[in-house]
Amino acid sequence: MELNSIPRLAPGCRLHPTESVLLIPEGTLNLTGPTREILRMLDGKRNVTDVVTDLLQQFEGADAVEVQRDVLGLLDRLQQRGVVRT
Amino acid sequence: MTSSNAISPLSTPLSLIAEVTHRCPLHCLYCSNPLEMQRAETELSTEDWRRVFHQAAQMGVLHLHLTGGEPLARRDLPELIRAGRDAGLYVNMITSGVGMTEERLATLVESGLEHLQLSFQDLEETSANHIAGTRAHAIKLALVPVLKRFHLAFTINLVVHRMNLDRLAEFIALAEDLHPDRLEIAHVQYYGWALKNRSLLMPTQEQVERSIPIVEAAKERLKGKIHVEAVFPDYFGSFPKACVGGWGRQMMLIDPAGQALPCHSAAIIPGMTFDNVRDHDLAWIWQSSSAFQRFRGDDWMSPTCLSCPRKERDFGGCRCQAFLMTGDPNAIDPVCSLSPHHDLLKDLRISDPEVLPIWRD
Repeated sequence: MELNSIPRLAPGCRLHPTESVLLIPEGTLNLTGPTREILRMLDGKRNVTDVVTDLLQQFEGADAVEVQRDVLGLLDRLQQRGVVRT
Repeated sequence: MTSSNAISPLSTPLSLIAEVTHRCPLHCLYCSNPLEMQRAETELSTEDWRRVFHQAAQMGVLHLHLTGGEPLARRDLPELIRAGRDAGLYVNMITSGVGMTEERLATLVESGLEHLQLSFQDLEETSANHIAGTRAHAIKLALVPVLKRFHLAFTINLVVHRMNLDRLAEFIALAEDLHPDRLEIAHVQYYGWALKNRSLLMPTQEQVERSIPIVEAAKERLKGKIHVEAVFPDYFGSFPKACVGGWGRQMMLIDPAGQALPCHSAAIIPGMTFDNVRDHDLAWIWQSSSAFQRFRGDDWMSPTCLSCPRKERDFGGCRCQAFLMTGDPNAIDPVCSLSPHHDLLKDLRISDPEVLPIWRD
């Protein structure tokens, strides 16, 4: 996952309309912290930098370097699990 | 009698298995459907299923698995998918692919289908068709590139047993070339028709041992590309499986005629009666029907299970298997090394390549 990658949810993966849960084939992933908010932003247009910028606006005072690292780490893990694609 | 670390008596089901029909163009030697299948004229109507899906979603069910038989045998399949999605459920379909066309698939995806599972019987056509009891292999292979044109999660299921386990590495390679999102490698479980063919399908110890590193290597190699899940053959284990996630804990199965079952094969256990979704609300069935109550919690357990710390992981194993092997559905699942019947498995593990296959009707 790179800063200019455009991640999106894999086919057959979608956010539960109300709960902090990602529905995936044969199961669910419980989403903690701002994960739901991050996945909601994956619209196939925004790249990772756009997502980080958006998050920094929402969470004033957050450390930009830390947020960027966390977002990349999260998306990498979800890509390894096959629920996020670039 | 309730121990201090009792299993919570009532949880919310997460998945609903809707066996929409028992009609099927395939006659797989390992079919897990009951030997007594429901006839077409007893099948629930579209309206019945729509009501059931709404009740399920109200209870907190997340996943709907449309299966059978072959769901494509139902002409109202698009309506059933749409009803599942309208209720708020995630819709998965398990199909043989026989009867699918690009137009039909387009309608199913448009109706809200999110995940499709296709199983393969072997990598080589003659053998695959022999196991399926019909000529389905070429149809399945031809369907895959069509599937890939749609926005849909796609799982390939490799069903493995003595007859194909020696070719597991090549079998996985075939699946890999078809680029599914998920790959399930599942040993046959011995219920229904598979139980009838047990000695024919039973792998040898050597086959099972050789297969484990092959599966592990595939998991490692395909990481990030294809999500691999494997089901171990429990006849070769020392601890039982948490069958259906524990009796009456995670899932409900509705058969084509509307009977609500805690698992695929619960009807084999003597004295079971099943309530029907035509007569009762799903939530009532989940909470109060005798079938779901029967092995819920731990009151029924033997003292060995009751005092065992693993009971919250395996919930005492499989009740159907305990009954099939010992005649007592309350017995410890004989797969467990603590079962006084564990030695039975030695005899049941004997494979016999010479017996004649019995195909599903």
